[in-house]
Amino acid sequence: MNLRDPESMSVVIGTLLRYGVVLSAIIVIAGTIRLATASGLSDTNGLFAYSADTIPHGTFSLSVSGFFNGLAALDPYSLIELGVMVLIATPVARVTASVLLFAAERDRIYVVITAVVLGLLLFSMLATPFIPVFHG
Amino acid sequence: MLILEFLVILFLFSIFAGIFGSMLGLGGGVVVIPVLTLLFGVDIHFAIGASIVAIIGTSSGAASTYIKDKVTNLRVGMFLELASASGAIVGAAIAAYVNSVALELIFGVILLFTLIPTLMKIGEDIPKSPELNGLSKRLGLHGSYTETDGRVIDYNATRPVAGLTGTAAAGVVSGFLGVGGGAFKVLSMDLAMKLPLKVSTTTSNFMIGVTAAASAGIYFARGDVNPLIVAPVALGILLGAAIGARLLLKTRNPTIRKAFSVVLALTALEMILSAMGVQV
Repeated sequence: MNLRDPESMSVVIGTLLRYGVVLSAIIVIAGTIRLATASGLSDTNGLFAYSADTIPHGTFSLSVSGFFNGLAALDPYSLIELGVMVLIATPVARVTASVLLFAAERDRIYVVITAVVLGLLLFSMLATPFIPVFHG
Repeated sequence: MLILEFLVILFLFSIFAGIFGSMLGLGGGVVVIPVLTLLFGVDIHFAIGASIVAIIGTSSGAASTYIKDKVTNLRVGMFLELASASGAIVGAAIAAYVNSVALELIFGVILLFTLIPTLMKIGEDIPKSPELNGLSKRLGLHGSYTETDGRVIDYNATRPVAGLTGTAAAGVVSGFLGVGGGAFKVLSMDLAMKLPLKVSTTTSNFMIGVTAAASAGIYFARGDVNPLIVAPVALGILLGAAIGARLLLKTRNPTIRKAFSVVLALTALEMILSAMGVQV
């Protein structure tokens, strides 16, 4: 495939999104099957309680070490979190790919536009968690 | 309720949300949030966390089909993402300092007013394509796609700055409330830029994933993305989006507009009610 051909943009981006979605779905399905077999017959009572004073606000683990230990043990919640992370990463990968593809097409205006979008996206994903929340 | 029951019922509702969300260019939050809060008694914070995941799933799940069929206008989408991503950051940043009730009410009323021009276009198949000039020409904001009946539709975009402004509002709403961004995106392209409706809904679908991803960090960090809830939502939404993407090309534009108008009215109502203290 010739990446300088404008047609390649839709092929590459479409394929990228499809693989991201399928990978994410496989991981979430694995986690959900683990969840259903391990505790499918227990009650949901109390599992949706939201405690504003704690982070995370729910009854699930969120620590980085807990996440990796959970993955090693095939913990359902860690698997589902990993799948969701892959899903969240697909738009980021898509914007990154479009910067590179517009660069290959030598379309300067769109290299700038997509690069700015990528910058805004990364800034927002990484910086907004540090903005204080008063009403949360 | 057993966990197993919860997973299955939520999965089925999410398929429905994915189908119509992907066809109308919305994230499906308008279905997922009330189902979670009203039916399952889930806290609104977890519901919004699940809605963010639903939006990304609807977007990525349907976009590959829409791109392959060349309905999505990639350039229009990427150009408008400048505004939606900036708006999302502003929305998230002001959330701590602005009265959320007032903002929700303002945007709810704005949405309600956009119903008028949207309803005036009911029955329209393909809008008359405007002349391509100025900024739209420089940015290559035009395209063509094949309609249900085999007609090849060539179209141009007009008023790109008005489109940017509307999309910036979409970004602020998403960053601030976590929902409602898709409707403003579709309206920006449909009413301001005069794009064919299917181009507007599929290009909105393409963009909402980026806007949602931009604010996903904050919800993840706060622990609002509850794995038990998002797993069936993500899987149902992805399946629904795959189905919706195949249905859209077989659906006529006037039908899509009717469905969009109904959801627009519901979304506006949901926002106004929520501002008045009725949480749905």
